[in-house]
Amino acid sequence: MSTATLLLVVGTLPALATLLCVVLPHRAAAAVTLAVALVCLAAVIRLVPPTAHGVVALGFLRVDALSEVFLLPTGLLYAAAAAFSIGYLGDEARQAAASGGHRQRLFSRYSRLFFVGFNAFAWSMFCAPMADGLALLWIAVEVTTVVSALLVALDNTEGATEAAWKYVLIASCGLGIALLATIVMYYAGAQAMGQSYDLALDPLVAHAAQLPQTPVRLAFVLAVVGFGTKVGLFPMHTWLPDAHAEAPTPVSALLSGSLLAVSFYAILRYDEVTRITVGDRFPQGVLLVFGVASLLLASLSLLQQADLKRLLAYSSVEHMGILAIGISFGSPLAAVGVLLHVLAHAAAKGNAFLGAGVVVRVFRTKSLARIRGVLDRLPWTGPLLLASILALCAMPPFGLFRSEFDIVAGGIGAGQHTAGAILVILVTIAFLGLLGSVVRLVLTSPATAAPGREPSAWMVVPMVGLLAVLLVLGVHPPEDLSTLLSAAAGQLAGAVAR
Amino acid sequence: MTTLELTPPVIQATQVLTIAVGAPLITGVIARVEAMLQGRHGPRVLQPYSDLAKLFRKESLAPRGTGPFFLAAPFVAMACYLTVPLLIPVLTSYALPLGFMGDILGGGFVLALASFVVAVAAAETGDSYAQLGSSRAKTFGAITEPVVLLVVFTVAIVTATDLPYVLGATVRSSPDQIVRPAHLLASAALFMVILFETGRIPIETHTGTTELGMIEEARPFEHSGPYFAVLKWGSMAKQLILFTLLLNVFVAPWGMAATRDVGGVLLAVVLLLAKSCVLGGVIAVIDDSFAKLRLFKITEFVAAAFLLAILAIFTLYLGGG
Amino acid sequence: MTGTGAPTLFDGVANTIAVVVLLLEFLMLRAAMLRAQVRLYAIQSLVVSVLAAVVAAGRDVPELYVLAVVSFLMKAVIVPWLILRLLRDASAEIAGSGVLSVASEVLLAIVVAAFGFFTVNTLDIHSDVLPATALSVAFAVVLVAFVLIIMRRDVVSQAVGFFSLENGVSMVSLVVAAGMPLILEVAFLFDLLVAVVVFGVLMRVHHGRTRSLSTIELTRLRG
Repeated sequence: MSTATLLLVVGTLPALATLLCVVLPHRAAAAVTLAVALVCLAAVIRLVPPTAHGVVALGFLRVDALSEVFLLPTGLLYAAAAAFSIGYLGDEARQAAASGGHRQRLFSRYSRLFFVGFNAFAWSMFCAPMADGLALLWIAVEVTTVVSALLVALDNTEGATEAAWKYVLIASCGLGIALLATIVMYYAGAQAMGQSYDLALDPLVAHAAQLPQTPVRLAFVLAVVGFGTKVGLFPMHTWLPDAHAEAPTPVSALLSGSLLAVSFYAILRYDEVTRITVGDRFPQGVLLVFGVASLLLASLSLLQQADLKRLLAYSSVEHMGILAIGISFGSPLAAVGVLLHVLAHAAAKGNAFLGAGVVVRVFRTKSLARIRGVLDRLPWTGPLLLASILALCAMPPFGLFRSEFDIVAGGIGAGQHTAGAILVILVTIAFLGLLGSVVRLVLTSPATAAPGREPSAWMVVPMVGLLAVLLVLGVHPPEDLSTLLSAAAGQLAGAVAR
Repeated sequence: MTTLELTPPVIQATQVLTIAVGAPLITGVIARVEAMLQGRHGPRVLQPYSDLAKLFRKESLAPRGTGPFFLAAPFVAMACYLTVPLLIPVLTSYALPLGFMGDILGGGFVLALASFVVAVAAAETGDSYAQLGSSRAKTFGAITEPVVLLVVFTVAIVTATDLPYVLGATVRSSPDQIVRPAHLLASAALFMVILFETGRIPIETHTGTTELGMIEEARPFEHSGPYFAVLKWGSMAKQLILFTLLLNVFVAPWGMAATRDVGGVLLAVVLLLAKSCVLGGVIAVIDDSFAKLRLFKITEFVAAAFLLAILAIFTLYLGGG
Repeated sequence: MTGTGAPTLFDGVANTIAVVVLLLEFLMLRAAMLRAQVRLYAIQSLVVSVLAAVVAAGRDVPELYVLAVVSFLMKAVIVPWLILRLLRDASAEIAGSGVLSVASEVLLAIVVAAFGFFTVNTLDIHSDVLPATALSVAFAVVLVAFVLIIMRRDVVSQAVGFFSLENGVSMVSLVVAAGMPLILEVAFLFDLLVAVVVFGVLMRVHHGRTRSLSTIELTRLRG
């Protein structure tokens, strides 16, 4: 299979799955989704070696090292969440089938909407990094917003409705600003390349040195604010905890691990051009401010959080802040760290959300105060959740330790001592908040002595898989992946060398 | 054929006379149009003249405790209203000698003095309605006067001077000058101020209606006989002055005498009155199609005028006005 | 101080249209009836489409005629129709009062618009298609739309605020990116339509759950 065909697979199969799920019954839809997700994961992994050494393009689709790094989290979490949803919906499917009638109809409607939306969501997130051009990138990110907003509203509870409305409104406004950024960037590009140019990436980067400075600066700030809304950077993060907490669990995992990363990818594309045009200082300054603010807010929020899923959501804000700070260091080592962090965060946060989903399913509450003794009641999920939280706190031997170490080391190496110190302090505060809450809920003795039972093996297997990925990333990343990360970091830090 | 040339002082006197004599006509026309729109026959167009004549023949009373200021106020106000036509282009497109005596701002100050005098006289009476009217007029005036100032600034930026003659000439010079946003916005803001100043419908129901929401109508409540007549005449004159300002400076500065030829000047008189009648008709239509705003909503109305004026300045500042 | 020369006729017309769009945005800010607000949005979209047509005629960019027609159909016909239908089903008439009084909202919006005006003006972005003033006005529209979204407390006003924000963005794109390939512009518009549908679905869900269009009750999720 040629590499260009792989793009086609990743770019079309989830769309096909979306269409199929419109007509298929629950079981078949779940099977198709899982199959497509696994094929996509395989295709994305197969893309690693060719993209590490060059660009793979096919029509509107174009994958270079940087895009490939951001395809991996989606591939990983798509597969994991697809497997998880089988277990997640399995209980209800059995109950609905047992009671039949109205309940059965309600469930099959829910399941159909879920799988249609789930596949469409994954498809849009695959498309965003593969889109060749800032305009197409914006369109793909906008599609991710509308699809995921519907998914957030899917549970149709009071909280879900509120969260979905806030999410769609705030994110759409943010994307309105991002559209302004796109237009201003077009204007800048048109000054150097003439009117008929269509925002494709390669010509833009090639001509970046000739672009007018002021519009590029404006476009960059607008892009950071606009796409930053979807990344969850402070102060545009307000939708994020709500949406992550209220969405169905598999969607939460995708939102947190994959969607935020994809939006961050959009910022990186602007960053790539801006650095060449106006130099490093300006974009670094902007990202540093937003990154530190997000990290500060998130670490303080983590200290006093009462809801398990919101806790994880704020942890996402924290990690997005770390990414922004890491990019602002402008050192190649930190850039490698950031990209590794994207992958490791996706695996760890996905794992944590899936674990939290099981816990919420079993304890029937999201309140941290009322969940006790997870380790005793859930022999698999308990340790897995604990491990993923430890990973999120950047404990060795998990991938996040390596990536945060790279980021801090890169920052210190680049002479950013103050920022590096702030980063370490705030991450430590976040560590206290996160671990404190979760340890209490995992290690305390259970309120009831009821023996635990895992709800479904389908829900445990993806968590084990993700943990394995985390370990591999932490202990010894594969050779190909390291090459890929260095190549992508080279794209990001290209201006540094210049 | 010899043409009879008028000397500038004569023309200047004609301007004042046109305003003084023409003002009740415009009021009559507006009342008539309004009546027709409402399906009534309405009063004669010349009715305001008869009203004034009748009032002049009546006895006059002053409330106890009022001083000479109360009696002098109508005449001071009228004097102010008759001074302004010396400053603005009423009949001629070129500046008359006294036209340089004051700019738009000067004219505005003279009008404000008249309004102030009337308000103080009303306040002196101790009558609750008259006081209500004057306090309201001054309250809202605090927002309309900045609007007028902003309109003046707009003119000043456009023409580099604040002489009304120059703006009229600028507008005449090319269609580019008319479609520029600053001009349109300033004209619209001025129009809204005129609606406010003449007490037209979004602000108050007018002429002879006595009710709690009145402003302009309440102020001469305690005057009677010739004093009342002069006040009424004064407010008609003010209306025509404002119309003239809007028409001859902003909206339609055409049809004015370019020479001192007597025929041209007479034609200009007729045309001015005709244009004012059209504007009066427009105002009558507005009167007929909208409801009066609640008193507290009037701030919104004047705030809207303020918005227009400030946008005019903004667009000019940005170089695109 | 010297007087400024008048802009050309085309610039004057374009600027005036742009200013009208801004004024309509201000009118939306004070419109109390939901229907009136949707209608104002329809008019605003119409004016933006007219601006596109004016640019097409004045600068000889025939592509923009297509854009004008498409944007008119979608933003002045389909979108308002969809929202009005929703309003009819919800049988709601009056927008909930905003956070501030109307006068304060307008004053705030003036300040915000002034900020937009002058910051954009200092950026010194010039386009050979439309005067730079139109760009400043367009940014002001975007900012005032934000005021509308933030200050209003009902889903319809907030949604209409977002759609009018998009109108402002369209104006920006007319000024600085008139030559952008038509396919992209149309794609943006269709994206908007998708967003409208999603907004509509969520508005319905919200109405179905709370029996009102107000967002005042949406305070459950905090911290």
